Parts: sequence; C-alpha cells; structure tokens
Amino acid sequence: MNVLSPAFAIAGKDLRLELKTRDVVASVGLFVLLVVVTASFSFPTGGEGREGVAAGVLWMAFLFAALLGMGRSMAVEKEDACLEGLLVSPAPREAVFLGKLFANLGFTFAVELVILPVFVVLLQLRPGGGTWLVVLGTFLGTLGLVTVGTLFAAMAVNTRGREAILPLLVMPVSVPAMVAAVKVSEAGFSGGMADGTLSWLLLLVGYDALFLLVALATFPYVTEE
Amino acid sequence: MNDVKTDAARQQPVGELRPDAVAGPLAGSRRRLWGIATLVTLPILLGMALFWAPEDANQGAAQRIFYIHVPSAWIGFLAFFVVFVGSIAFLATGKRKWDDVASSSAEVGVVFTTAVLVTGPLWGRPVWGVYWTWDPRLTSFLMLWLIYLSYIVLRGYVPEPIRRARFSAVLGIVGFLDVPIVYLSARWWRSEHPTNFVVDRGDLPPEMLATLIVGLVTFTFLYLYLLSVRRSIARLRAQRELEEVAR
Repeated sequence: MNVLSPAFAIAGKDLRLELKTRDVVASVGLFVLLVVVTASFSFPTGGEGREGVAAGVLWMAFLFAALLGMGRSMAVEKEDACLEGLLVSPAPREAVFLGKLFANLGFTFAVELVILPVFVVLLQLRPGGGTWLVVLGTFLGTLGLVTVGTLFAAMAVNTRGREAILPLLVMPVSVPAMVAAVKVSEAGFSGGMADGTLSWLLLLVGYDALFLLVALATFPYVTEE
Repeated sequence: MNDVKTDAARQQPVGELRPDAVAGPLAGSRRRLWGIATLVTLPILLGMALFWAPEDANQGAAQRIFYIHVPSAWIGFLAFFVVFVGSIAFLATGKRKWDDVASSSAEVGVVFTTAVLVTGPLWGRPVWGVYWTWDPRLTSFLMLWLIYLSYIVLRGYVPEPIRRARFSAVLGIVGFLDVPIVYLSARWWRSEHPTNFVVDRGDLPPEMLATLIVGLVTFTFLYLYLLSVRRSIARLRAQRELEEVAR
C-alpha cells in the first residue's frame, strides 16, 4: 500500500482540525511570544555579539514550541481512542508516523513563521544576505527536533507522565541538533556563512536523515498493542 | 532463582511475560565467579594504583584517580553498548530476557558514568584549576549520563511490562546512535576556543599502562557481577508482575 497518501490524509485531518479550532497555534504561538519577550528581558540582547544570544534564545523558544505542539497533537489522538482507530486502519504504521510528523511540522513551522519576523524586529537583528541561512537552519533544525519528538510523543502519551515526560526524552537526545541549529542561525543573523557553518548544516542533514530512518523503523514497535 | 516460582506463575504462562529459563542454577555460579574475580583483582588494582605506579611528574598524586576514572568511562561505554544491543535484540525477538539485559545494563552504566563525572572534576580541579570545562569528552559524558537517566525515568513511568520494554528499547537505540553525533557537535562547538585542557599524554610508562590494564579488567569483572545481580532482580520483578497478572 502507498505510504504517502494515507500520511497526507492523516496530516490533512490534523491541519483541518487545527484550522477549525486554532488550539495549538494560538496557545503555542502566544506561549512562544511570551518566551521570546521574557528572554529579551533576561539576557543581554543588545550590543555586540547579540546574534549569538539571539540564536540561543530563538532555539529555546522553538524547542518549547515544538514540545508543546507535539504533546498536544498526540494527546488529541488519545481522546476517544482515535490513535487505536488510526492503528487498526489499513494505513501502514509508517504512514501514521509520517502523517503525525507532517502535521507536527506544519504546526511548528506555522508558529515559527509568525515568531521569526517578530523576533528579528524585537532583537534588532539585520540578517540581510543571511536570511536564507536562518530559514534553512530553521527548517533543518525543526525537522530534526520534530522527527525525534513525534516518535517520543507516541511513547510519552502512553505513559503515566503523559506530556510531562516528553521534554525529558526529547531534550537530551536533541542537543546536537540544537547546537547545530543555533550555530547556523547565528551565522545567518550575522549576515551569511561563517567558518564551519557548512559542517553544522551537514551535521543537521545527517541527524535528520539518521533519526528519520530510525523513527520509521521503530515507530511500529512503539504503537504495537 | 527457580525456587521462587509459585504455582500461580506456573499455571499462567502469559506469553512474553514469562521470565526466561536462563535463570538456571548456572547463572548463580557465574555470578559468584565474577564476584570472586572482582574481590581478587580489586585489592591488586588498589595496590598497583596507589603504591606501585610511579608518581606523575606534573600532576602528582592526583593523577592516580586516572586508574579509576578511565576504567569507569570504559564500563560506561560498554554498558550503554550492551543496552543498544539488548534493545535491538528485544525488538527483534520480543524476549523478556533482552529487556532485562538492556535495562540492567543501563542502570549499571549510569552508576559508572556517575563515577566518571565525580572523579573527573576531582582530578580536574588540582590539575586544570577548574572542576568543569566544556571539553568534548566531558560534554559527551554529561549528555550520555542525561540520556540514560531519562531512560530510567521513562521506565518508571510505564507500568505495563511489554510496553515498558518496547519504549525503553526505542530510547536505548536512539540514545546510543546519538552518542557519536553528540561527540562531534561538542568537538566542533568548542573548536573556536583552542584551550584544549586535556593534554595528550603520549606514551604511558609501562607501570602506568599495566595498572590501567588491571583497572580495565577489574572494572569489567565488577560490571559483569553487578549486571548479573541486577538481572536477577529484574527476573524477580518479572516474577512478581506475572503473579499480579495471574491474580
């Protein structure tokens, strides 16, 4: 059976639900805006070398956004045994994973799309020619976070801790992706490729590819009853 | 181990829940062997490390912690590699035995990694002048320690044995594959600060090398002994869970 068409159907269902309720994007978006504003007060965000601090703050905010969004999107499936419904459907497990992955990517990108310009304005950044690098870093970094997160969210929702356990699983494992994404964003905010930026981009691509494969291979075990 | 089996358990073989028959009388004698081996080699290691190995010209007596520190680090890696292999084997076969091996090894690994993170700063303070530095090796060990702590926490949050085994197996695989990437990123992350504190010590004098090798052997025995003890606890726990299901 084709894997992609049921995956798109599942992602489409999540996105339509989100368009009607605006649950995730509204709450997560506001939360992330609050994180950015609070961090701007807590860190020295002006002056020399602010690009490095800004990139760090930005990725802490994105991490929280992804964690919250993924937790919510899996918690919804837990209600009225929706997840069981998906699992007994003829769609292969890989398609269920990809569907949730696409939906989570959609939510997270939507939030990031709103936050990124606000962030650039608030922290007086001038990426200029480095804008493409910020966008590319955001895409690759988010892909890595959300791939690992979608796999772990399916586990976390079936534990006693529910969403509370998700950050404990995602954060240690996603450290390399976070470091790389921060480095790429910093270079982008500073105007373009710096020494070593290419290595960080390659590390992100490798991280994303490796864990996408691992997640596809292990997701069927996570959802087996 | 066999004498703890109750009638309830014998009547209710619940498929994968059944603890493995591997827990035969042999397992106990093998454990005793590892225990005795540790008891014999540990005093030898202490004697060699404290009295026989020459004093380091630059680092003084502080260097002697090296004979505990490095073997602990080695066992940390070995233990987490065993978690990785056990996790794959569990997902492939569904046998509870492999979950016992993986989860036991994870706990023992966390103990040794904790020892690494405690002995490292104790040595770092007199030699480097600081307790902690974000050197790639230190950073990697800290992340390793955090990943497997989350592994243990995750297990505590899943009451159903099969689901617990599956979830932790996935984390055991993802976590171990993450290790080289963590090391690489930690290396590049600090590359703009060339202050590499860890001096390449070049060739060790033969006495130091011999002491280190005895240390590695001793700690391997200790690891095997602790793993065996921890596995028998896992089997007892499996037994109890089985009885609860039967009730």
